[in-house]
Amino acid sequence: MSALGGPKQTVGVQPPTGMGLVVSIVLIVVALALAFYLVQMAGVLAVIGIIIGGVLIAFGVHFVPVGGAPAAMGQAPGIATGVAMLAAGAGLAGLFGGAWAAPFGLAVALAGGAVGGGLLMAITCTMVNVIYIFGMGIPAASGKVAKDPITGDTFPEYKSQGTEGHGLPFISWVGGVIGGALGGLGGTLIYLELLDIYQAQLPIILNTTVEQIAPVAVSLAGIFAVGMFLVNAVLAAYNITGTIEGPHDPKFKRFPRAVIAAAAASAVTGIFAIALLRLIGGF
Amino acid sequence: MEEIVFGIGITALAGALATVAGAAEDVESDIGSQGDPNSQVQLAPQMGYIHRIFNKAVAGEPPAYGLWVALGAGLAWAFMAMQINPILAIVLGSALAVFVQGVYATTAYLGRTASLAKFGQPVYIDILKSMTTVTMAHAFVAIFTTVAMCHLMIGALGHPFPLPLLGLVWGIALGAAGSATGNPFYGKERQYQEQKFGAGVPISASGNIVRYAEAGQRNSLDNGFFSAKLGGPASGVCFGLIVFFELWRTVVFEELNVWGPVIVGVIVILIFAIIDRYIEVWARKNFGPYTAPEEASS
Repeated sequence: MSALGGPKQTVGVQPPTGMGLVVSIVLIVVALALAFYLVQMAGVLAVIGIIIGGVLIAFGVHFVPVGGAPAAMGQAPGIATGVAMLAAGAGLAGLFGGAWAAPFGLAVALAGGAVGGGLLMAITCTMVNVIYIFGMGIPAASGKVAKDPITGDTFPEYKSQGTEGHGLPFISWVGGVIGGALGGLGGTLIYLELLDIYQAQLPIILNTTVEQIAPVAVSLAGIFAVGMFLVNAVLAAYNITGTIEGPHDPKFKRFPRAVIAAAAASAVTGIFAIALLRLIGGF
Repeated sequence: MEEIVFGIGITALAGALATVAGAAEDVESDIGSQGDPNSQVQLAPQMGYIHRIFNKAVAGEPPAYGLWVALGAGLAWAFMAMQINPILAIVLGSALAVFVQGVYATTAYLGRTASLAKFGQPVYIDILKSMTTVTMAHAFVAIFTTVAMCHLMIGALGHPFPLPLLGLVWGIALGAAGSATGNPFYGKERQYQEQKFGAGVPISASGNIVRYAEAGQRNSLDNGFFSAKLGGPASGVCFGLIVFFELWRTVVFEELNVWGPVIVGVIVILIFAIIDRYIEVWARKNFGPYTAPEEASS
């Protein structure tokens, strides 16, 4: 029992509850039905794309090594900031690249978004290690595993007394880049799906040309993509609760719950983004 | 060809602006104690250590900067729509956004510190008077450079996002890079100078921050001076590299092939992987395994 009561938190796999699964499936089905009612098959495909994007973001956040305030004092490994914040930073940098590459087609834009997010994390993680090593004189040591699964470096002898480890081991670096790439990919996918819907529907509703409507469509799709990004990143951060070292951390196994929650949340937010069209048409 | 050269020039300028933005952002957040080690400044009075350090953390650094930069960019955008010269518009927009930051800093300091009254922590009015303007000045530099950089991305490089949205995106990325890179240097090296160099801070030492400087009691201006030595510049280099590589790979290689920026991005990521691995191994070799500090024998 924790201090506040309730069941003890387990670090390993925490499967979603039956009730949660049923509610999520109902929400997703309702969202898909509404999408079909609003903009036929294109709407259904867009919601499916948004759900996949949201799931990618929530899953990606679990890879990002985040240590919060303890990391800022060399008390825990990871990057010294909040999970949602860092993942959002990386994913939005990906969205920036993906939106830029949008005219070249889905595949190039998605790859551009993924590489953009991965690149932000690669540079940030490297600079974090530069500060830990040259600014604070601390070598990387994980508190969760004895050996780096990639490089085989051992950690216990490098870990300072009274801490849970410190620095950013190579496995966490790799996790950060994967997380950033998945976030960028998911964010870009959401953006492109919404952009398609807006570019197809807005000219009909407002009786204008595609060129005239382009700035509105880009802005709406962009701001909704940013919003959905934050929804999914914060959701995943609640699932992680506090700090995580990366894919080798036992907390990583909690991701199935977040993935299902993200799918439901993305479906609901997605349908709002699409239903906005009707609202604009109503005026 | 001429277009690519122009693009590279804009990319370099955007990277330089981002470097200044990152450095100013980190120093600002360390003076205001807004980054992640802020919990120690909040915790210290509860452990019996009264201090004179500014403490304005209420939300995280990235969303706060997302707000300020988006606000500055939005106002600049509106001024430009009123046919005001872009440079003047960006200065005016950033200046107005900084007033919001100033209000935020004031209320956050008063609120956060007042909540510690039961532990005997006073609200120092002189700290409020002297520090708020300094954080505002640093915030102005960070906001102005980021908004100017976003304007370049749209005006010269043709990014499709409108200025306020781009401000939000890069504001959050700026806060994320600054809070990730610069904060550990302030958090561990500045707040816990009594701890042995080359080791993490034991959890039992939480809240036991260093409260005295070379000349009397430490305040947040000392922290700004300290952060400007390494944490700030490192955050600047981090954010500058991010912006530079994001733009450079697109501007230069998109002309050759639509997949060019993606391939170059992957190569750059691999190069950073090698650099990271090299410094990690360097640290293990040069610092060696942890040795417990010897107890002072009497």
